[in-house]
Amino acid sequence: MKADFRGDADHHDGTSDATPGGYEDSRRPGEAGFAALLAIGSGVLLWTAHGISGFEALSGPGSVPMAVTAAMLVSALAILARTIRLPRVAGETLRRDVLPGVVIVMALALAGFGLLLVPLGFVPAAFLFLVPAIRFLSGRGWGFSLAVGTGSLAAIWLIFRIVFTVLLPSGILPEAELVQALRGLFSGGEQ
Amino acid sequence: MDALLAFLTVFTHPELLLLVGLGTFAGVYVGAIPGLSVTMAVSILISFTFSWDVLPAISLMIGIYMGGVYGGSRTAILLNIPGAPSAIATAMDGYPMAQRGEAGQAIGVTTVMSFFGGLIGIAVLALAAPAVSDFALSFQPRDYMLLAILGILLVGSLSTGSLVKGIFSGSLGLAIGAVGLDPLTFTERFTFGVPLLQGGISFIAVMIGMFGVSEALIQLQHVNSAAVRQKIDRIVPSWDTVKKHLPLSMQTSFIGVIIGALPGTGGDIAALMAYDHAKRVTKKPSRPFGKGAIEGLVAPETANNAAVGGAFIPMMTLGIPGDAVTAIMIGALFIHGLNPGPMLMVTQPDMFWVIVGALVTANAFMLLFGLTGIRLFTKIVELPRAVLIPLIMLLSIVGAYAVNNSVTDVYWMLGFGVFGYFMRHYGYPLGPVILGVILSRLLDDNWRRAIISDREDLGAFFHGILTSPLSLVLTVAVVLIFLSQTPLWRAAIGRLGQRRHRHAAG
Repeated sequence: MKADFRGDADHHDGTSDATPGGYEDSRRPGEAGFAALLAIGSGVLLWTAHGISGFEALSGPGSVPMAVTAAMLVSALAILARTIRLPRVAGETLRRDVLPGVVIVMALALAGFGLLLVPLGFVPAAFLFLVPAIRFLSGRGWGFSLAVGTGSLAAIWLIFRIVFTVLLPSGILPEAELVQALRGLFSGGEQ
Repeated sequence: MDALLAFLTVFTHPELLLLVGLGTFAGVYVGAIPGLSVTMAVSILISFTFSWDVLPAISLMIGIYMGGVYGGSRTAILLNIPGAPSAIATAMDGYPMAQRGEAGQAIGVTTVMSFFGGLIGIAVLALAAPAVSDFALSFQPRDYMLLAILGILLVGSLSTGSLVKGIFSGSLGLAIGAVGLDPLTFTERFTFGVPLLQGGISFIAVMIGMFGVSEALIQLQHVNSAAVRQKIDRIVPSWDTVKKHLPLSMQTSFIGVIIGALPGTGGDIAALMAYDHAKRVTKKPSRPFGKGAIEGLVAPETANNAAVGGAFIPMMTLGIPGDAVTAIMIGALFIHGLNPGPMLMVTQPDMFWVIVGALVTANAFMLLFGLTGIRLFTKIVELPRAVLIPLIMLLSIVGAYAVNNSVTDVYWMLGFGVFGYFMRHYGYPLGPVILGVILSRLLDDNWRRAIISDREDLGAFFHGILTSPLSLVLTVAVVLIFLSQTPLWRAAIGRLGQRRHRHAAG
């Protein structure tokens, strides 16, 4: 095992925390671009950090931010320099191995869920996310997706809203009344 | 007497006992589902406990942590996929055993040895932490700063990926932790004039994004892979097997505690070192190592669970996490108003003993759940990913929202999820990011304290380092880690090896 690499060939996609992605001797599609973006981002952050308090005092609010962004920039440049020298992995494409359609679709669905969370409320937004997602990923019928999606949503809502008392956006659903009714049901009508 | 009462808190409160049991159960099973790691389980589940009182929340978290470290070994044995970094070494002999149809025996030995290692780790924690905490009271600010740097560097270099990527990840975490208003001067840092950024970026959002969403997105690529069925037979190991390996397990447990107690090194390094130790000291293994030797299971499993107790030592006494999971635990303790560090032991010694009690309980539950419920276990492992992944995504969103009731945190979480997805693909370790976010404040505060007390004089600062044995040792360690990644070091090691070789030949 080389000091510079502790992953294994089977899990180059980072399937497990224990085995980070990437290859030792070659670069994956998009890896050089990602490294370049990190280097540019680090440069911008270093510039911003310099703007906090400049070099006025070693104990200034900007000194640690400057030090860490400088470390980011130096390491990002070192990574970039190493990455662009490596040959590309044979047989991998960006569309298939790094960013397949299913990942893009689900990431967009998640973003949509996030956007609808407050205006619609948790339950309707989660329903709109969960049922089509299960249908899309499992390839099974709407009946299965509806049953599994609704069932698990009900379980999650009961656990988190009632047991963990997590406040979730109620949106268009009369949630407070529902919670009250459920509590009334469980307390057996005690006053 | 107070300590004993505090220690027994969990046993005397059925509610806490139930939560530790529930947490351990969840930890074992989430750790056992291929692809779902304990870090992910801890990061998503703890976000729901922030509105709770501190004791129930800690009980649940400790259960998840203890169960998760153990649960990771299941997938290592059955599928050759370590569920957690600490289970890498377990796969080396566990998987060959499963291939021979001895999965039940492998799981049984793993469970009993994890329990044994866990107990030793907790015992050392209980004995050593008060002394370490006394010692830590004499630490200077610069020592804390050096410890934080050392911790991030060690996680970056030893656990996963390359050191330079580890340094990048750690620095990124430190920068994320610095976003917002500076607590001393109220100067804006990295806010880009956006008022929303003045409060900083929620650590929970970063954590759930990096460990929850990014992992779920990665798993999408394996959504159609078939669930693996394994026949598991007899699971409770015979007393003879346990007795035979007791001496080795004692040795590897102590390796585990010591490695776990070093800041920055956790169960993964402990397990690998223990495996190496077992290979050296075992003259006649049951089978050759790597081909299904029981010794190759005993060593890493005792060590990684012993490392849990060990990792709590720097976490509780210094406030320095050993790995990503302890970093998350520290963050959770902060949110509950506890400040892990030497003062915690002085101001709230009871809290320490409650935590020790919860660890002991979680360890017992781990043994119970590990040896029973096999049928349920196989059902859970076979859950279709097409259902599991959307549910994890849903829980991630609920978790991110729940902490501050803020939809902004949800967006941050999604952003870091996508970013973490690419980091995983390209081999950037995520652990150092979380460590960096957690340690950012500690590093910043202590650097400023140190340099102000030296009147802004770098010469005096370095003089202080050179004249204090502790600071000197820490500095040398930091420098050595850097040097170890340069060609200079490799040349030196090569020359040393040659000389030894010549010496042996002569």
